[in-house]
Amino acid sequence: MTQAATAARIDDEGGGSRLSAATLIGPATIVVAAGIIIPMAILFRYSLNQFKPGLMMVEALTLENYIKFFSDPYYLTIFSTTIRVALTCTIICLILGFPLAYKLARTETRFKNLLIMLVVLPLFVGNAVRAAGWMTVFGNKGFLNTTLISFGFIDEPLEIMFTETAVIVGIIAVNLPFMVLTLQSVIEGVDRAVEEAAFSLGAGPWSMFWRVLWPLALPGIIAGTILTFILGMNAYATPVLLGGPKFKMMAPLVFGQFQLNNWPFGAAVAFLLMLTTLILTVAANLLMQRRYRR
Amino acid sequence: MAEVKLAGISKRYGDFFAVRDFTLTVADGEFLVLLGPSGCGKTTTLRMIAGFIEPTTGSIHLGNADITSLPPWKRNTGLVFQNYALFPHLTVEQNVAFGLEMRKVPNAEIGPRVAEALRLVRLGHLTDRLPRQLSGGQQQRVALARALVFRPDVLLLDEPLSNLDAKLRQEVRVEIRELQRKLGLTAIMVTHDQEEALTMADRLVVMSEGEVKQAGSQRELYEHPADRFVAGFVGRTTFLAGELAGDGKFKSRGGLTIACENKTAIKGAATLSLRPERVSVAAAPANGTENSVPGEVEFVSYLGALLDVHVRVNDRERIVAQIANREGVYAPSVGEKVHVGWAPAAASVFAGTGEAEE
Repeated sequence: MTQAATAARIDDEGGGSRLSAATLIGPATIVVAAGIIIPMAILFRYSLNQFKPGLMMVEALTLENYIKFFSDPYYLTIFSTTIRVALTCTIICLILGFPLAYKLARTETRFKNLLIMLVVLPLFVGNAVRAAGWMTVFGNKGFLNTTLISFGFIDEPLEIMFTETAVIVGIIAVNLPFMVLTLQSVIEGVDRAVEEAAFSLGAGPWSMFWRVLWPLALPGIIAGTILTFILGMNAYATPVLLGGPKFKMMAPLVFGQFQLNNWPFGAAVAFLLMLTTLILTVAANLLMQRRYRR
Repeated sequence: MAEVKLAGISKRYGDFFAVRDFTLTVADGEFLVLLGPSGCGKTTTLRMIAGFIEPTTGSIHLGNADITSLPPWKRNTGLVFQNYALFPHLTVEQNVAFGLEMRKVPNAEIGPRVAEALRLVRLGHLTDRLPRQLSGGQQQRVALARALVFRPDVLLLDEPLSNLDAKLRQEVRVEIRELQRKLGLTAIMVTHDQEEALTMADRLVVMSEGEVKQAGSQRELYEHPADRFVAGFVGRTTFLAGELAGDGKFKSRGGLTIACENKTAIKGAATLSLRPERVSVAAAPANGTENSVPGEVEFVSYLGALLDVHVRVNDRERIVAQIANREGVYAPSVGEKVHVGWAPAAASVFAGTGEAEE
């Protein structure tokens, strides 16, 4: 065959695979474009508008909403609280989730599917309902305080309800299943024999974990932390219900601005929330991947 | 290197014995092969030596140290896995260095020792590759280098050749054996492949249903199998079911009366085992051998240097003879009337019929 003919044939095949790729990716792309990119673009445009009481939104091309956010300590505190809560929840989810996911991945009983269902079970209840449940536990006359008092461990009820701790506990409860499921599926793909090989070569459990299991599970760790971090940053129901009126995070703030009809500022806050989540996620990934490039 | 002493080790799961009362000493520098069908307990035995399974009873000594309840990472055993189990995220060099790093060998010493180990397995040129960039044979050799580099007291091989293609397997067999001799390693290999076992071992242990059936050299196992199972598992054989008549004769169920070496100890049902290469085929009754049986050739399989001739001797029984494929040697064809003959010493008789057919 001549070179030209070969090239033409390869081109043909290329064309064919391009076509099938388009049919495979197309539908989802359209949904993403219509459902996310277009609204985000509109929101971004809104964030550059002005808000005039009485007139609501006024067409403009200004950064004053963003300047307002960064120059007011009130908003900056909300901003840092949100990042702190999301980070704390993610780290605790990873620490709690890894052993659980490992055990789940290495279990060889016929009840395995049942165990996985148990992990997912909390997700069967909506966020708001679950938060209501936590309220009955954390409240001054809630389960936790009455139990502790009746056993004489404390005299005064602990202030848990409407604190950051309550919110963190609540968000962890929501996010943990996502972390566990993501880690479990990746750990299952790590050959058990590789762990045994490490042991036989003289690695104790701790060395085996850091030198073998952790780097091999890294894709799952990255996916799991991204998922829980995003969910933590954008938590709405839990901070509202467990944090109370004084505790503020970004998602409730966004919604609050829309309720006040201040769409430009709400849009700017929403945009900042998304951008921060994106930047922190990408930065963390680059950092982790650089350490284990191979 | 050191000797390995297994004293009465058993592994029980509920009522099931995976391994029962295994006692054996592997000498310093010996290449021992555990041979048996799947589920016979050979892998469980190896994993008990490696430390992944704790024996229910019994003790394991490595050199002078009792390692029975030591975790795997404190045992100094070099283990080669069936699927190699290389670390997929580490290069060849890093894989081999792992055992040295775990033993806190000084960095300056690790480099030369890794290079030496890779040179031994002829992979010095592939140090920077990742396992997935290597062929099966190369991965196997990395696994071997990784298990040898820290000078283990014993090398444990868990069906190390079963994932290689037939031709490569033959080469690697020789390579492993040469390496083991050169380094004076004590080695224990598990396999279900009798040919592999026969070509590699100094000594073989045949296992079945968790028990040692026989331990010995190739010749001992082949020529003096302890029981019916060993006779059937090591080499090929024709089994005839029947019973001993008492006067040194064996009466088969098909009606043959066969002279054999006297085993008066066996009462009741018995099995006669006859190695195909000890059986001769002739057009006329043989006069030099005591046993000569007429029959008809039913099937001939051509093996190149050898021919397997399946001779039907009666309604229930067929005897296989293996003859050399040489000029001047009588080679019958299917349907021919022939006589098969053999010396009494060629047959072994065992108690019981097992699942004896033919």
